[in-house]
Amino acid sequence: MVWTICKKELREMVRDGRLRAAGLIVLVLLSAALLLGWRNYRNIDAQHKSAQQATRQQWLGQGRKNPHSAAHYGVYAFKPKTPLSLVDPGTDPFTGVAVWLEAHKQNEFQYKPAQDATSVQRFGELTGAAVLQILVPLLLVLLGFNAWSGERELGTLRQLGSLGVSRMQLLVGKALAMAGAVSLLLLPALLAGLAALAASAEPGAMRASLPRGAAMAVSYGLYFAAFGALCLAVSAWASSSRLALVVLLGFWMLNVLIAPRTASDIARFFRPAPSAFAFGHQMEAALAQGIDGHNPADERISKLRDELLKKYNVDSIEHLPVNFAGVRLQEGENYGNKVYDAAYGRLWQTFGEQDGMRERLSLLAPGLAIRHLSMAFAGTDFPQHAHFAKHAEEYRRSIQLLMNNDLITHASNTGAYYADHSLWNQLPEFAYTAPGLTWVLERQWPSVAVLAVWFALTAAAAVVAARQLNVA
Amino acid sequence: MIMNHFIRPIGLFRLLRLEWRNLRADRSPVVLAILLALAVGYGVWNGARWMDFQRHAIEEALTEESQRLAKIRDEIRWIDSGQKTPLSAFADPRLPQSFGRNMGLRYAAMPPFALGLLSVGQSDLLPYYFRVSTNPMHSFTANSNEIENPVHLLSGRFDLSFAIVFLLPLFIIGISYNVLSAEREGGTLLLALAQAISVRRLALAKFAVRVAFVLTVTTVVALTVAALAADPGWLGHAGSVSRLASWVVVTAAYALFWFSLAFVVNAVGRHSASNAVALVGFWLVFVVVTPPVLNLAIQTVYPVPSRVELIQAIRSAGEDATRKGSSLLARYLEDHPELAPGGGSSAATADFGTLLVALNDATEKSVQPVLARFEDQLSAQRRMAARLRYLSPAIVVQDALNDLAGSSTERHQMFLAQTAEYHRRWREFFIPRILRGEKLSATDVDRFPAFQFREEGVDAVLARCGVAFAGLAISVAAAAAAGMWAMRRHQVAG
Repeated sequence: MVWTICKKELREMVRDGRLRAAGLIVLVLLSAALLLGWRNYRNIDAQHKSAQQATRQQWLGQGRKNPHSAAHYGVYAFKPKTPLSLVDPGTDPFTGVAVWLEAHKQNEFQYKPAQDATSVQRFGELTGAAVLQILVPLLLVLLGFNAWSGERELGTLRQLGSLGVSRMQLLVGKALAMAGAVSLLLLPALLAGLAALAASAEPGAMRASLPRGAAMAVSYGLYFAAFGALCLAVSAWASSSRLALVVLLGFWMLNVLIAPRTASDIARFFRPAPSAFAFGHQMEAALAQGIDGHNPADERISKLRDELLKKYNVDSIEHLPVNFAGVRLQEGENYGNKVYDAAYGRLWQTFGEQDGMRERLSLLAPGLAIRHLSMAFAGTDFPQHAHFAKHAEEYRRSIQLLMNNDLITHASNTGAYYADHSLWNQLPEFAYTAPGLTWVLERQWPSVAVLAVWFALTAAAAVVAARQLNVA
Repeated sequence: MIMNHFIRPIGLFRLLRLEWRNLRADRSPVVLAILLALAVGYGVWNGARWMDFQRHAIEEALTEESQRLAKIRDEIRWIDSGQKTPLSAFADPRLPQSFGRNMGLRYAAMPPFALGLLSVGQSDLLPYYFRVSTNPMHSFTANSNEIENPVHLLSGRFDLSFAIVFLLPLFIIGISYNVLSAEREGGTLLLALAQAISVRRLALAKFAVRVAFVLTVTTVVALTVAALAADPGWLGHAGSVSRLASWVVVTAAYALFWFSLAFVVNAVGRHSASNAVALVGFWLVFVVVTPPVLNLAIQTVYPVPSRVELIQAIRSAGEDATRKGSSLLARYLEDHPELAPGGGSSAATADFGTLLVALNDATEKSVQPVLARFEDQLSAQRRMAARLRYLSPAIVVQDALNDLAGSSTERHQMFLAQTAEYHRRWREFFIPRILRGEKLSATDVDRFPAFQFREEGVDAVLARCGVAFAGLAISVAAAAAAGMWAMRRHQVAG
């Protein structure tokens, strides 16, 4: 019986010209978004890979130099594009593409792609995620708003009741039909996306992306299921199809239009981040109190010098068995690291608290939860940007340590000192592995829970509303 | 319609008053008006908060600058009078290469315009102050971003422009989707028309009342909250009043666009539910779907080269310059003069300064074509956006509102141009002194003037908005004409 109902509903949906048109529009936009997302991913990924190799070659080919001068020259770390960014580029346009790893300083990422776009960009980008988060729920509203109210208005509900069809059978049949209609649209896109991934990504990246992609698909499924159940519940509860449509459209707007901005505002209000000026100024002040590596008469340096002289029992720097400049530079790095760890630690904690606040608000608007999860599984959210930034910073520190240790052990305190490619070669190549699915889930399970709770509540509401539905 | 000959037509004023009473008696317009007022008021307040944040940051920066410069002035006096010796040549503020490259840097800041609270626009994404030095401009423009959670940049802020561009149409749809259809469905339309008025006249009266209602709520709330949140002299700035007036005009034109669409849909004369669906459909197309599609088209037609390429270009240009210009000494000095035996002599740093000037110059020259490619593509993108924005009134209005509030890309372009000019003068001041090996005196510290952002003439802004307004006006007129035409064939009974 359920199957018959489902088939009948599905047939009606497919025959409805307006629904067909709406579905077609969604399909066209989704395909365009995925196609261009895929092209973008391939271009940027290739660019970043070749740039990473170029920066390595530059590092190796820098010739004879003082190691500290090489440390100043540094290398660049280019943030790799994750394969699933073809579905959801997330915060990628608003985080920089590369960071310069040089001596003394933890730099900010440079060049946000959104700054290289017109103001039209701020309306939102056409991405796979945007279609899935904004348009597919709208399609669900159109499919479901009159599922019950329409039957009642046509008087067919009474007939069905007299035929002995149970409400649960009807509900399941209708739900299956909605699911079927949406899958009809999304499955081809999903398969095409998989094929595109398989064609372009390296095997390693592909293997890492599959579990993430599966998690993403499940989350979207859960979200759509919750939204569909909500439509069925409202349709059964509302006194007319018109009211059901108004309520559902209102919820849709709150969910996709108002909630993201308002949640960001609220998070920013309660957990404000410092201004870039205050942030930089505090760091500069903290660094100035310590050894800055360029200022030999600083108090800390004299203290350090005295300690070294005492340790090696000599009376001047020239007689030290270690290179004093190297020791001083490394001390400067160590001090700087403490300052940066504290400053960035606080900043990223603030961002984390803002994210947490939005996560709690997603209990009111599940759209926030799927937005959050989609970026997380795509690897394009802020925590994963920070993960890369931390890794790049560790690499920067390892460069400083390698260069300064070389100075300390090999440079003399009286003459010039140069190192060559044998030292540059000792620096391992920059390699980054994005965290796996478990890492993401450990952090983002609350959003998964929110979606599950929403689904449970809306499904229960759909069942209750269907049971209590009046025939007339 | 025979009755027409016997009954005196109702005067327009009375018709409007009756309709206003009708509207007031209904609960939903009141609820909608309250929601609209909340959205508008919150938007303005939010914009004001962001404006305060920017002002505060600029204020802090300028305070830091004046304290730093005062300290340097004292230090130069002490050094000149022999009370103090610089720790190393690098810490000697009298050397133009030290002063101009890191110690004496000055801020070029673009403070928010007095009407900034009306639209956040691009101001949260683009930097609003730079620390100008003798180094190449790209070295300080690439690192001046405000700190913001990237997810928040992605979402955008709930500012007044958002309330107007995205939400105002929905309120308009809510209040006018069933202007005629409800009367027809309730059977009251026939009754009303029995009073010897034409459908058109009745519809116009109904719409006129609604237009007045929505515009009054929007402008009164926006202006009141703005007056409360802005600083007292906000209308005293050059161009403030005319820009504010244009803001009202553009907002009204946008509202009229949506009202005229509703008018057409009502005139076609389907039932209320299909009117609502049609209008929401228009909203989706114009506000939600068209802008991202257009954005994608722009980026596909004029792709901006990757900044990764720029980074690489700058780096290899620097490499080349170093390779060409470096004797062993020069390279050594580039490394770290204070690490040299007896390092930190002022002769050595003078050489270092000269060398750096030469290196920067060579690097900039060879990077210039790459930077130009970015500029070319970006301005091509902007031109394409300017041409195609008429596909969606939402884009036209968003751009105009940003422009009037001073948070547009155009104003930022001006800021960049003025910074470039300031940077050029900064270099003209310091580089000859570096090359001559001169030392600065305490009075030199104040010889270089502070950066003053010059606002664009109000005429230019109004001219741009005038074009946008004309575009809107044409579509309003077209829709209204279509509505009037369709109204003639309107079916009175459902």
